[in-house]
Amino acid sequence: MLYKILIVDDESPVRELFEDLFKKEDCQVVGCASGEEALVHIKKDTFDVVLLDIKLPGMSGLEVLKNIRDTHKNLPVVMITGFGYDEDLIAKSKQFGCSGYIGKNMPVAQIIVTFKQFVKNAKEKGCL
Amino acid sequence: MGMDIREKLSDLIENAAVLVLYLDRNGNILFCNKKTEDVIGLNRADILGRNWLEILFKYTNNIMIKEMFKAVMDDSTSYKRTKDFQCHILGANGITRLISWNITPIFNKNTQTTEASALFGHDITETEERETSKKNIEDSLKNIFSSIKEYSLYVINLDGNITYFGMGSETMFGWSKRDIIFKHVNILHDIDETPSNLPFILEQARLFGKYETETELVTKNKEIIPVNLTVNQFLDPNGKLIGYIFIAKDITERKKLEYQIFQTEKLVALGQLSAGMAHEINNPLFVISGRLQMLKNEKLSQKVKDNLALIDSQTDRIRKLVDRILKFSRKSTPNLEPIDVNEAIEQVLPLVNYNKLPAAKIEIEKTFAKNMPPVKGDLHQLQEVFLNILINAYQSMPNGGIIKIITSNFKNLYAQIQIVDTGVGIPAHNLKDIFMPFFSTKNDGTGLGLSICHNIIKNHNGSIELESQVNNGTTFTIKLPFI
Repeated sequence: MLYKILIVDDESPVRELFEDLFKKEDCQVVGCASGEEALVHIKKDTFDVVLLDIKLPGMSGLEVLKNIRDTHKNLPVVMITGFGYDEDLIAKSKQFGCSGYIGKNMPVAQIIVTFKQFVKNAKEKGCL
Repeated sequence: MGMDIREKLSDLIENAAVLVLYLDRNGNILFCNKKTEDVIGLNRADILGRNWLEILFKYTNNIMIKEMFKAVMDDSTSYKRTKDFQCHILGANGITRLISWNITPIFNKNTQTTEASALFGHDITETEERETSKKNIEDSLKNIFSSIKEYSLYVINLDGNITYFGMGSETMFGWSKRDIIFKHVNILHDIDETPSNLPFILEQARLFGKYETETELVTKNKEIIPVNLTVNQFLDPNGKLIGYIFIAKDITERKKLEYQIFQTEKLVALGQLSAGMAHEINNPLFVISGRLQMLKNEKLSQKVKDNLALIDSQTDRIRKLVDRILKFSRKSTPNLEPIDVNEAIEQVLPLVNYNKLPAAKIEIEKTFAKNMPPVKGDLHQLQEVFLNILINAYQSMPNGGIIKIITSNFKNLYAQIQIVDTGVGIPAHNLKDIFMPFFSTKNDGTGLGLSICHNIIKNHNGSIELESQVNNGTTFTIKLPFI
């Protein structure tokens, strides 16, 4: 197994696509639909990386990221963004300590490559 | 009884509102009334017995008055008459006053000589001041009116004929007063075949006393001017309607500004709309293309694979379009740094070849300003603008041509970049829409390229304009402020 990934996205077709894609890449995948659920998972389980939608109903992606950083300083978190060009949100995520971001506007192959690169960098740096 | 009248006359003279003096042959003052004392500011004791010229005109040596007095008193002419004149005297408190005088010779029939004269003076200082200030006001009003350029005032009679054409009217309409007076006012209101709204306007003014509206008027050269028109009833002193007064204000500049604001608002609204749409499309599109990628690795028949490849390429097209729309609607402020415009353009030139361009021979002529100060800008965004315009230039020359790139320093204020092609040009009716999103004349264009350029340059506090002539080519002019 390459990584154990927690995928957080409220849209099930998107989440399931990520799940299937990363399963193919030999990852173990846990999916959930909200930030609140995600925090529960992180509390009771250990993950190599969190793939987190930046736009979530209820607790926002940024808030989830902040909460994760309070307890898990070194857990790589990669943001999923549909706003390919919203530099403000991306800048804020960086400020809150995300490890990188992938955009839903990227071709799938590029998403996988980018994602792996971010996780690798994060692990090498001891995350942050 | 006789005494009574004499007393009354004496009383009347003493208290008259005019200066009354009685002079002997030599002009010495024998009598004066109270008004004289008041105006001159001397007591009767100091006045009587002295020469009137000395008392009234001590600081002026008025030859004209002396000559006049001589003429009045002259015995050699039997034809005696009253003389009127106006002159300033030095009055009480050293204040100069204007007096209208009347000298009446007093002729003694017995001696056949002029033995004395009566002098009546009317103090007209205040009246004169009023008149002068009235004249000054009239003069300045005239001046003000002729200085007002964007207003026109004209008057018509009840037949609709122009009876007055003043205050800026000649400037605004290009008609001279002489040519337009008594012509029907329709001459200013009839635009081509469109029925004039003048009857309606006059009806409203007739009913309500005044009517104000935004409309268009036409000049002698058939140019159309947008105006704010106020029409008032013109009444004679008895309140009878005798015509209408028109005041037209040229609002061309305001209209231009309104149009620009309208365009900008439209752009913003379109940007928001497309961004919203792009977001909604993004997720399902992501799932479709992701699932397609996964299917590609399955063992499938060639026919299915071919179809999948087609679906994939078309999906990719949608993805790129959505990408472009998001790029267009992004509100991000440019990442500003000092940029050498010439260098930024140089770096872009090789990129132009990577885009699918016609194989025709196209030459690039560069005329770059030396010692160009840096502009404040976002390198990637500005290069995107240059690239976009260069690609458009290439595409406009399917049979080859020349692209001139000229940079210049405008008075150390801004960098001017001109990109001139010798291509097919843009028809005039398309020019106004050229920066609108989704406006494209190309079969495969998204219509976003130039609207993105427009947004970028605007975010840089610069300007982008173009001139174009069909079959002669297009010139883009970009201005970017220096740091």
